[in-house]
Order: sequence, then structure tokens, then C-alpha cells
Amino acid sequence: MTGGRLHPFTLLAIAGTLPALAWILPAPAGGAVTTAVALVLTLTPGASPGLTGSGSSPGWRPGLVVLRTAVLTAAPFWLFLLLLHDVPSTIAIGLRLTTMIASVVWVGALLPPGRLVEAMVAAGWGVTAAYLFAAALSAVPLLKARAQRIVDAQRCRGLSPRGGVGRRLRALRALALPLVLSVLHEVDERALALETRGFVPGARRTPLAPPRDATAERAGRWLLLVGCAAALAWRLAWRG
Amino acid sequence: MARLTLERVSFWYPAMGRPALRDVSLAAAPGEVIALVGNVGAGASTLLLVAADLAPRVVGGRLEGRVKGEGGRGIVLPTPWTQLSGMAFTVWDEVAFGPANLGWPRERIAGAVDRSLAALDIGALAARDPATLSGGELQRVVIAGIVAMEPALLLLDEPTAELDPEATRLVWRLVRALAGDGCSVVVATSDLDALPELADRIVWMEDGAVRRIGAPALLAEQSLWEAGLATTVADVWRTARLGAPYPLTVAQAERRWRQ
Repeated sequence: MTGGRLHPFTLLAIAGTLPALAWILPAPAGGAVTTAVALVLTLTPGASPGLTGSGSSPGWRPGLVVLRTAVLTAAPFWLFLLLLHDVPSTIAIGLRLTTMIASVVWVGALLPPGRLVEAMVAAGWGVTAAYLFAAALSAVPLLKARAQRIVDAQRCRGLSPRGGVGRRLRALRALALPLVLSVLHEVDERALALETRGFVPGARRTPLAPPRDATAERAGRWLLLVGCAAALAWRLAWRG
Repeated sequence: MARLTLERVSFWYPAMGRPALRDVSLAAAPGEVIALVGNVGAGASTLLLVAADLAPRVVGGRLEGRVKGEGGRGIVLPTPWTQLSGMAFTVWDEVAFGPANLGWPRERIAGAVDRSLAALDIGALAARDPATLSGGELQRVVIAGIVAMEPALLLLDEPTAELDPEATRLVWRLVRALAGDGCSVVVATSDLDALPELADRIVWMEDGAVRRIGAPALLAEQSLWEAGLATTVADVWRTARLGAPYPLTVAQAERRWRQ
């Protein structure tokens, strides 16, 4: 079974458990193990197909790309930690942060927001609560696409995002303002569009293709929770 | 009974002293297609938001007068890229988003979505990611998403702005077909040439108020021509000083010419 076939709640449980264990278990061994597991997870092949199971996998991303994203996102944190701390502390905190980052990148790449919403709706959550999760997960690719359009438009007007640091900073400023303003403006229109499409508080949404939540997976999630609690208890007792 | 009734409606956007709508009265009967025409700032988009029960309920502001609607209402806004749900990874799921929110059974949702996709001729896009569509494709997906909800009152704000001529004709044919099934349609459009064959009534709006209401023949009258709201054929006929009554379409012009 690939990660993409797991129930969304199971994916979230795994992505939540790893960082929790990274902080609970003693450093650096605990962080090293959770980081290794999280980085291996980023190599999980593919994300799940669309809700209809139509065969296309729009969210599919090759595992190495996800791994690279996780590593590149974590790298600056290691640099800053090294500037602020000694080497043992840097390793201890860096491994924990890397676990967090890799877990979030992994679940973000693997879990289509629509599938999460389906799972939440099927589990009896309100549609608006489900949308908060989904919107947060789907925001990054949408913002990237919008930023690219703004950069393209500014290139047409002669602004180059290439060159020295000063030039890049000027280009960044010219990108940031329209990006933020356009997102704020879009919020109003999107609210109207969602409202007219029946996405209102209290709506009884029909799950189009609720993900199968096997008993084994539900038990697995409880096991992860119990594992975290046991690790915390052990750590507290061990430190004591 | 009218699907939509506006009685002496005035509307102010938040923090605006000047009303965007002034004393507007209008009724849409089942199966009727009403076209709102006017220049920028005339108030057509605001009228549609009020008719959709989005203003002032969602956008804020203040409303005076009475708005009454019967049955479900759906509105297509003029910017398709802001109307995606953000929660669907295929066009099929995007179109199903509205019906699913209505709590319909899955079989009914599937039927409505498939019919909508076919009506907009976008069945081939069903498995595509909405984020990868062109503006015209996106526009049709958004319209399909609203049509799939089977509204009794369909409100369209410049629904063909992103479409090529063939897709534009397809949408107008769909509007007539929906009206034939009893759906009331109110459409704000600058595609004046389509209106003689599309609309049952024309509402000319100016500065937030209804200036005239009448049959499509209104689009050949002197006052609308002076406001730049005549059809191309009527405009050409007038410019050529060929005399009244002015034809609205090429077919009418041909008949007049042969007489």
C-alpha cells in the first residue's frame, strides 16, 4: 500500500507523530531516527488520484522532488542554528526541525486537500472547518502560480528578477506587494463564489468519494497516539 | 409567480454615500431571459449580486426596498479564476462541488454533472486539473458548476467575456435551452449582438437606475444608440442613413434590404 492510498487521517497522524516523537525522544538519537523515517517517507511514490478515481494523478510528484523540497527547506534552518548554537545543540534542534519540515512536505505532497475534505465531511466535521484545512494545504501551489504570473507580467514591463542581490531584492518587492494585494482582493470574490455554490456553514455536504477507513488504519492511528503518550511518559520518568 | 421580484430596491456598498442601485423594480418570470445592458458603472453587476442574495448579506452595505426570490439561485461572476472551489483536483469534481454542497444523493450529483459537462461541451476535460485550464475552458467549467446545481434563477455576469465566438454561441444556446426548461435567467452582457435572439426583455441601466425596459427592439432606438448600446447591425444601418425601423440582426437586415 503506498502512502497515497492511506486514509487522510492516517497520513496526518503519521505526519503529526513523527515531529512529536522527535521532540519527545532524547537527542540526537531520537531526532536522527525520526528524521530518517520522515526523509524516507518523502520518497513514497506518488499521491492519490482525484476524488473520482478518474485515473489521472494531478497531485503526483516524483519522490525525489519531494525529498529535495524537504531538504532545501530545512537547509537554511541548519545554517541559522549553527550561527546561534554550538554543534551538539544545532544537531539536536536541526534534526527535530528537519523531521517537522519533512513530515509537512511529505503530507502536503501526498494528500490532496479535496480528499481530506471528503474524509472530514464523511467523519461528520462541518464543511467550513474542513475547508480551513483544505485551503491551507492548497494555498502554496496557487500562490506559486500567481507569483509566476506576476513575475511574467513584470518581465514584460522590463523588470528583471535576475542579477545582483540589490536587483533581486527590488524584484522581490515588486512581486510581494501585488501578490499580497491580489490575494486579499481574491478573498472577497472567492467568498461570493463559495457562497453561491452552497458552501455555507451548516451545509450537509454529500461526500463524493469518501476514503475507505479500514479498521486496521483506525487501530494504527490509536497506536500512534498511545505510542506518543508512552514515549512522553517514559521520557518524563527517564529524566526524573 | 415571478422567480425574482425587486421592488424599489436601492443599495449602497459599505462606506459609500452614493447608491450603486437606485429605486430598481424588476420581475423575472419562469422561463424568461432578461438582459441587463449599460455602460461601465451602470449597476448591472450590483443588481445581480442583490438578486443572488449576496448583497448586502455577504458583501455588506445597506439595502432599501424588497427583494423576493423563489427557488434556488446561482450566479456566475465575471472572473472565472476566483470562482474555483480550491478543493477539487479534477474538472468533474469542481463541477460536482456545488451539487455536493446541496446534499444531493451521489447518483443525482453524477447525472447533473455529466449533463452540465455535456451541455458546455467540456466532457473531454472531466479528468483535467482545473488549475491547468485556459481562461475560456475555466469559464465554461464555472458555468457548468452553477448549471449543475439546477437553479430556478440563473444570474450571469458577463459569462462570455473569456470565450471564443463558438463557445459564446454555445453558452447562449444553453441559456435559451435552460429558459425553455423553465429556468429564469438574468444576464449582464456587453455582447449586444446576441441579445435579439437571446433575450425576452432588455433592461437598460444607467447610473444605478433602470432607464428603460422593453423588447429587444429597444436596442435599435435612438437613445440606446446614442449611449453606444445598439447592436452592430442597427448601428451600421443608422450610420448608413437607411431609415427606421432599424434591423437588429443580419437576418433582419437582409429581409429589410430585400423589401
